Amino acid sequence: MAAGTAVEPMTAETAEDIAAQEFARIVESHRPQIFRFLLSSLRDVDLAETLTQDCFLKAHRNWKHFRGDSSAMTWLMRIAINLQKDYWRNRRIQFWRQTRTNAVDLDEASEWLPNGERNAEQQMLAREQVAHVWQAVKGLSERQRTVFLLRYVEERELREIADATGLSEGTVKAHLSRALGRVRTELRGTR
Amino acid sequence: MNWEQDRSGESPQMELELEQALKHFKASMDAWSGAAYSRPRSATQAAVRHTWRMAASWALGCVVVMGSLAGAVHVVVHRQEMARIAAQKAAQKAAEERTAAAQVTAQPTSAQPVSTQSGKKTPVATVRKVSAAQDSAQAQDEDLLASVDSDVSREVPAAMEPLAQLMDDNGTQ
Repeated sequence: MAAGTAVEPMTAETAEDIAAQEFARIVESHRPQIFRFLLSSLRDVDLAETLTQDCFLKAHRNWKHFRGDSSAMTWLMRIAINLQKDYWRNRRIQFWRQTRTNAVDLDEASEWLPNGERNAEQQMLAREQVAHVWQAVKGLSERQRTVFLLRYVEERELREIADATGLSEGTVKAHLSRALGRVRTELRGTR
Repeated sequence: MNWEQDRSGESPQMELELEQALKHFKASMDAWSGAAYSRPRSATQAAVRHTWRMAASWALGCVVVMGSLAGAVHVVVHRQEMARIAAQKAAQKAAEERTAAAQVTAQPTSAQPVSTQSGKKTPVATVRKVSAAQDSAQAQDEDLLASVDSDVSREVPAAMEPLAQLMDDNGTQ
């Protein structure tokens, strides 16, 4: 090997530094998406922030076990889905406790729309449609809601959704079909 | 996103409406999460709330401790007061019993019953009055005997001679 191209042996500290930098990059790029998924699932900004923090804390602890079988985003989504499941399970178990929740109602959630070039009538129509989708989402089971949000908010492919949820692609399709059926029913009810 | 995968056998108009609704839903979620993600965090507010909570719990703890102490002190003072009253009553009862016993012992020796006009005099004063009456009655008796003797000796001097002789005999012996 030529003297000019000699590669120094990587020390343990250097490897750790590289891993930390890589993890920081992943946090920076994926954090908004994880937060958005949790916010759409829970409709609670504070809780979504807390669970997002928990998600990356868990990911950091298990970062060395991440083998790269799936994408980092899918791996993080799997952690977020599990945290969300734990949260709902705890709420069901502790149903007698008067837990303080900051979840916004559906009307308030439907108020959010980007400032486009649409006129007032179009904005109102869009707001109504969003409200109907929220109404349909509210009636979905936990699994159907997760699949629906991953598909139509996070725009994940069926394969990725199957990886993140641990379901088969066929089951994901079935859940999506039922969820869309409910949204159609809601939209049809407005006519 | 490939919508063709998710289409069903519904009418094209319905599918178009569904597609639009889902697009609006995603845009709405993007706007909401973008605004929530970039909002200023309320870390200081949480700290203030935490401080208030700590202060309130400390105040509550102090109130509970003070209440417990005050209760304990009250119980001790109450017990002491009750013991003092009980001792006072016992002493009063003992004094009454002593007085009653003294009255019982004084009653058989008295010459005449003590007149209790008011009936409210204390037993000690009654006893003193009784003894004073006894003394005065004894003195009156001796005075009476002395005056009788002097009268007899003045009127009938011979009648007193045997007595005088007897007294002389006693003096010489």
